[in-house]
Amino acid sequence: MAELVGCFAAGHAPNIARMWETMDRKERAWLDEKFSEFAKRVKASRPDVLIIHSTDHWCNFFLDNIPAFCIGIGDEHEGPPEPFMKPVFPYETLKGHAGLGKHILEHAFASEFDPSYSMQLKLDHGMVVPVWQVHFETIPAIVPVYLNLVEKPFTTPLRCIKWGHMLRDAIESFPENIRVAVIGTGGMSHSIGETTMGWVDEAFDHACIELFRTASDEELGAKMDEMLKVTGNGGAEMRNWLCAHGAAGGKGFDLIGYTPMPSMLIGCGLAEWRLSS
Amino acid sequence: MTDYWLNKLIFDLQEAGGRGLWTDSKKRLAFVDGYKLSPAIRKALIEDDFTTLQPAINPYLMRNFLLFCGLDDEESKDVLHGLHVGPQPTDKSGEVAHG
Repeated sequence: MAELVGCFAAGHAPNIARMWETMDRKERAWLDEKFSEFAKRVKASRPDVLIIHSTDHWCNFFLDNIPAFCIGIGDEHEGPPEPFMKPVFPYETLKGHAGLGKHILEHAFASEFDPSYSMQLKLDHGMVVPVWQVHFETIPAIVPVYLNLVEKPFTTPLRCIKWGHMLRDAIESFPENIRVAVIGTGGMSHSIGETTMGWVDEAFDHACIELFRTASDEELGAKMDEMLKVTGNGGAEMRNWLCAHGAAGGKGFDLIGYTPMPSMLIGCGLAEWRLSS
Repeated sequence: MTDYWLNKLIFDLQEAGGRGLWTDSKKRLAFVDGYKLSPAIRKALIEDDFTTLQPAINPYLMRNFLLFCGLDDEESKDVLHGLHVGPQPTDKSGEVAHG
């Protein structure tokens, strides 16, 4: 049977790629250090498949059809379409895992979730900035899960935690001996394209970190729901972290690093959930 | 209120030429005429009237749109902050609600 071998989270700000060669040296050093630690931990889990949760930044879906959750069930996916990704991550295609994707889809329907699915997705910067930063020798197969976190209404934080629980059950019932890691990307606080653009809400970020460490699912879901109403729109991406948190069983949060990074327009956080054996 | 055709125009602009197209006034006019825009929105697009446009554009598309207009992050923030009602939230307050 498949095994969940790691749950992780990391920021995915486009400016990390766009400004990689030109950014402030101290910020570059911080990102190098923290993403190196993130990479070490992801590689140590030896994943065959990455299930990555991210926001679709208007690369796949538009206002004519926006799924709350969309699972990528293709054998392969298109690489990032954004021009700024090409110099650092020049992949035209990335390998998928149709079998696991379809299994998760069917398991979700049997578990009272109704996700959309696609056999042909583009993996935008939100999916691949953390993958790029791991510097795999061979990139594992990817099962992308896109959440709508750009145009309201959004799925609730508690729903994302429950999605994570469902996902773990799906992984552990998949009848192939593969190692699977779950990643939530984006966040932490940021404000994009709003009249508060650039605002990094450190109080929100620290509150999230504390809740991940200590809160029950119900408390985490309820408090995040309230907190997300009064922070920048990019904070919505913490729902991707909540999916990973749920997959980890809601325990074992271990912060790899956090710093407010206004030039990247985000509060930049990276984390792992230590899985109990 | 999100305006479908305005957002569709910006969405399509991502693959249609982005900044190179939008900063060329002739190409901009031709591109704008391909969408079912209200006269007020059409005029605002031609005149870079961000005050009229911003409430009708999804924020993530607004960010891209400002880049297509030739503005960098600092210039984009200046434009958007100029449209903000009330004080800007401070980094550590987390207390100012906004849309």
